[in-house]
Amino acid sequence: MLFNSLEFFIFLPIVFGLYWLIGGKRIKAQNLLVAIASYVFYGWWDWRFLSLILFSSLVDYSIGLALGKNEKPITRKILLWISICVNLGFLGFFKYYNFFVDSLIDSFTFFGSELSINTLNIILPVGISFYTFQTLSYTIDVYNKKLEPTKDFVGFMAFVSFFPQLVAGPIERATNLLPQFSVERKFDYRNAVDGLRQVLWGLFKKIVIADNCAKYANIIFNNHTEYNGSTLLLGAFFFAFQIYGDFSGYSDIAIGVSRLFGFDLKRNFAFPYFSRDIAEFWRRWHISLSTWFRDYLYIPLGGSRGGLKMKIRNTFIIFIVSGFWHGANWTFIIWGALNALYFLPLLLAKKNRVNTDLVAEGKYFPSLKEFGQIAFTFFITLIAWVFFRADSVAHAFSYLQNMFTLSLFSEIEVFPTTILALLLLFIATEWLGRSGEYAIEKIDFMKKPIRWAFYILLIVLMFSFTGEEQQFIYFQF
Amino acid sequence: MKKLLLNIILFFLIAIAVGEVVVRLTHAMADIPQRTIDEYGIQKYIPNQDGYWKGGEHKWVVNKLGWPGELPQSNENLIMVIGDSFIENFMNPNECHQSAFLKENMKDYNFMEAGRSGVSLIEAMEIRKQMDSLKPIHSLIYVDDDDFYESIIQVKPMSDITQLDIETNTIKYGEMKAPGLKKVLYTWKLMYYFYNRFPLDNLFRKGTTPKETTINDSEYEKPEYLAEVSKLIQFITQNYTVTDKTLVFHPDSKESLIEICKSAGFNIILLDSSNDDTWTFDYDSHWTCYGHKRAAEQISKNLLNSANQGAFR
Repeated sequence: MLFNSLEFFIFLPIVFGLYWLIGGKRIKAQNLLVAIASYVFYGWWDWRFLSLILFSSLVDYSIGLALGKNEKPITRKILLWISICVNLGFLGFFKYYNFFVDSLIDSFTFFGSELSINTLNIILPVGISFYTFQTLSYTIDVYNKKLEPTKDFVGFMAFVSFFPQLVAGPIERATNLLPQFSVERKFDYRNAVDGLRQVLWGLFKKIVIADNCAKYANIIFNNHTEYNGSTLLLGAFFFAFQIYGDFSGYSDIAIGVSRLFGFDLKRNFAFPYFSRDIAEFWRRWHISLSTWFRDYLYIPLGGSRGGLKMKIRNTFIIFIVSGFWHGANWTFIIWGALNALYFLPLLLAKKNRVNTDLVAEGKYFPSLKEFGQIAFTFFITLIAWVFFRADSVAHAFSYLQNMFTLSLFSEIEVFPTTILALLLLFIATEWLGRSGEYAIEKIDFMKKPIRWAFYILLIVLMFSFTGEEQQFIYFQF
Repeated sequence: MKKLLLNIILFFLIAIAVGEVVVRLTHAMADIPQRTIDEYGIQKYIPNQDGYWKGGEHKWVVNKLGWPGELPQSNENLIMVIGDSFIENFMNPNECHQSAFLKENMKDYNFMEAGRSGVSLIEAMEIRKQMDSLKPIHSLIYVDDDDFYESIIQVKPMSDITQLDIETNTIKYGEMKAPGLKKVLYTWKLMYYFYNRFPLDNLFRKGTTPKETTINDSEYEKPEYLAEVSKLIQFITQNYTVTDKTLVFHPDSKESLIEICKSAGFNIILLDSSNDDTWTFDYDSHWTCYGHKRAAEQISKNLLNSANQGAFR
């Protein structure tokens, strides 16, 4: 079920109504409703994969209980590895099996021999990378004794399958979300209104910004040899806003919907395109994944505590794995490696934590230096996005080769004025609202007629500029 | 909770009012004329209506006889132009109607259109029968393959279309489907806009292919269906004059159907749009202004030939 579909607009009020009708004191009944609703939400795509979520939940719930009863380090380690193998095994099979087989065949062919292994016609379960990481976080935290194992299976099922963030995040930590399933949820008017506002802004980002940018990004990327350099740069620009609008829009909707049910999810995006360096960008982009990798991969590997070699190794590992998490394609691996290359100079010069404050705080405009830093960071991110969007590595290189020619300074061939004007308005709104959790959070301080007029304007824009309905990009991850 | 619900309801009421104004001002949806059923059982439009087509680029009119388009200046040498949504042609301005182009090419003749979306072949024959008082010298009936099958209850039962029961040889006139609901829908523009944007039949559509309930195109080539069509044509030849009528077949119509009509004595024109994909709109299969012009050129050429051979005397 898509957030921007009629089905969801029927589903949500029904679940919301039933949920609060049950009342916050009957926690178990509410959790059961959330679990059932989440399974319906997920099963809408393909009910067969519900068994995967159920199995994953059962395994991690049981392992959690076993970890709680066992103090023997070796047994605990075995239990942890069972969970890791089961979860990553599913992920590996559904997402990476064909990639590994193809890569193996290619390697053998490269060295002059032939290997005959058949690839499989595997359907990738929607959101598998998200809920796998979420359940893994539970087992790892219980193993590390940061969290007591839960004895409430229904609550645990609801945690794993919580429908607002099930298929595209934010990837919640068990330490943050799971305890919320065992406390009374109280309906809070301001929280619900804020949630609805964030949902509205998320829908606007998806429907108006992402879907319209997608239209032009697709045209330019699919026919890149026919366009000059400046148009290709615009194509990458469109993709940058497509993926931002799409993914951060989804996160906004997920966080907003959760608020309606009295849950607080982690922030996933913090205006990343206003970052002054790539380190800041990665602190602001897909925060829940970056911090997951930081806590469960980078730090266990030694983080930046070791020598120079270890720092470089760990930085590359975390970025490449992050790239690979996005998809079984060399383009994602190169995208990750490229970001590691961008990040490395800052890390080595110990300047990766220079820009931790809000850019141009309290000012309408950034300084010239800040503007230059933002523009440069955005530009190098744009180059990396070309690999992320391209169908193959060859496609990406060909795109960049055609872009970096003298025609980069010639007239743009595709210039959708209305969409660019909308994008400009969007960037301005994001800039003005950058001190909030999301861009229009602060509108709450304005008078009701102005607020409502603004909301209606967003709705009218959504209906007027609906692009072709595109599935959320991150579902495929 | 109560406060939230009240605010949501109030907000939606205001948003609906604003939305209605926006949809009307921008003509986001085409105005839809209201229909009626006349004393002969023919569904047509309530006379003297007008409205805007989607986007507001042009206006459509329904004339005093209840058919879309303008009436001819005179009924001398009158040729009737009968058909479905292609002749109704709300999507193009009046100057792009078949009658306008035909008149341009055949100045000595007058053309009058009677078009309504969904008209089947048998209904076209009935419409033509009602026009006898105007004494047309000839009639053009625009058809495609579906118009034959939709004329026969036994092949494709449709309660809103006039059809022939080939077992009893009786005509069953079409009924208006949910006229009250339609009136509300067409008047409440915002609701109509949502109805079009979010079709209810897509609501529970999922990845699976819907169960096939209709007969596909190749099925119609089977002898049993052609036999049903032959019965329909036989009924038509027994109950209507066919020599004063030309069946104008859409491009790529089935040869088997054309042959049946030819042997029944109809004059036939098969339109040709090969190597010319600009005949139709990008977003629907109806003809553009250009398509109508090209169709009219082919038809008038054929009609002038027939006229020269004395066919209209």
